[in-house]
Amino acid sequence: MGAVTPLGASVDAFWDGLTAGRCAIQKRDYAADRFSLTLPVAPVDGVDERIKGLGVQLMRADRFSQLAALAAEEAVAQSGLEFDEALGARTACIIGTGIGGQSTFDQGYISMLCRERRPHPLTILKLIPNAAASHLTIKYAVKGPSFAVSSACATGAHALGVTAELIKSGAADAGIAGASEAILCYGALEAWKAMHILADETCRPFSKNRNGLVIGEGAGVFVLEEEEHAKKRGANILCRLSGFGMNADGKDMINPDVNGAAGAMKLALKDIEIADPKSVYVNAHGTGTLLNDPTETKAIRSVFGAGADDLAVSSTKSMHGHLLGAAGGIESIAAILALRNGVVAPTVNYDEPDPECDLDYTPNEAKERDVSVALSNSFAFGGLNAVVAFEKV
Amino acid sequence: MADMEASLLEIIKEHAVGLTGELNRDTPIADLGIDSFSVVEIIYEVEEKLDVEVPFNANENPFGEMATVGDLLDALENLIKK
Repeated sequence: MGAVTPLGASVDAFWDGLTAGRCAIQKRDYAADRFSLTLPVAPVDGVDERIKGLGVQLMRADRFSQLAALAAEEAVAQSGLEFDEALGARTACIIGTGIGGQSTFDQGYISMLCRERRPHPLTILKLIPNAAASHLTIKYAVKGPSFAVSSACATGAHALGVTAELIKSGAADAGIAGASEAILCYGALEAWKAMHILADETCRPFSKNRNGLVIGEGAGVFVLEEEEHAKKRGANILCRLSGFGMNADGKDMINPDVNGAAGAMKLALKDIEIADPKSVYVNAHGTGTLLNDPTETKAIRSVFGAGADDLAVSSTKSMHGHLLGAAGGIESIAAILALRNGVVAPTVNYDEPDPECDLDYTPNEAKERDVSVALSNSFAFGGLNAVVAFEKV
Repeated sequence: MADMEASLLEIIKEHAVGLTGELNRDTPIADLGIDSFSVVEIIYEVEEKLDVEVPFNANENPFGEMATVGDLLDALENLIKK
């Protein structure tokens, strides 16, 4: 696993931030020519030197490709895999993004409209949503099935699930899989602000006083591997990706649907036997918007019935913000580490119970819990849902 | 032409991320740490900074096999003259 997050740019730093209940959300100014705005955001800091070390091609890539490459370096190093010709040909590379090179778009328009200059000649190669996937195939000489997935806030979960399905189908033995997002720039943030769904101070999932989401940036990348292939080489296997559910609400571009979310969770759990709901952790989509949180709560109740009260649930977006396409990437890391470390990361900024949101959201402090099944929920704008489930090996 | 060459060298230097020594006509292209797309970037900068148009189509491989920075300078100056 590899993580580049507002809480830190490695899996260890991310986990330290999560378990300490640290909130990385802060107000920042963004400007373009004569325009500017100030918003709470969750940025990734302190990676400039590492980006310079990525080589000539990635140095000129859009930030979303660069963050994906940093996360991939950690994941690939941890996996111990070396992509020789034979393995490279059998390795997939599925890196998603919700939006792609939005800041490159922004710079192109600023260049044209404010400075009467042409866009930079690399504009297209930087902004295409498959740029991160392509850069990683080049970086690792990986030549199996490779493409970008894009499903807004469900992208990361789709990338993981689709890669797992490719491996199951026999199309690949391994896969570099994950998602990246980096849209903290004036134009993108102004567009998000225009939707009137951004929080004015911070992200407070499931809390009665929640008032919106906070945009973050980062990347979560994994190396997935066919189980026997991994066992045969004596790999340090972190967990089993044992379930994947995806569907569409087919109803509305904005409003989430209980049945869609519940259906995706049920599909992810269909081959998993749950002996005790106390051993289940749900890393919720938990955006902190008025509509998502009660809808997701109802969906979790409809899946787990009376057992829902025993689940450990949390929204780590309260600490790292909403990474949009990359959310399912880094939140899957939070889910997997809960499984491995027996600790559930909290929902911070939780200060007012909401009768509509009545589960155990692990308020404000991490807690120890023997987790045997961990879910990562992702429900996108446009009604596209993806849920991944992990179990100990 | 000397001014033009100095300006071109300055632009090439900005893109030569792998360069450790001096940059002059004899510097091998291979020492610059640039890739195929750097040429397109360099031409863009030349057009912007020198206010000239470089009739260049990447499909026509107008630079052929270049060995040294001198070859690149000559090719750029020929294109600018067109």
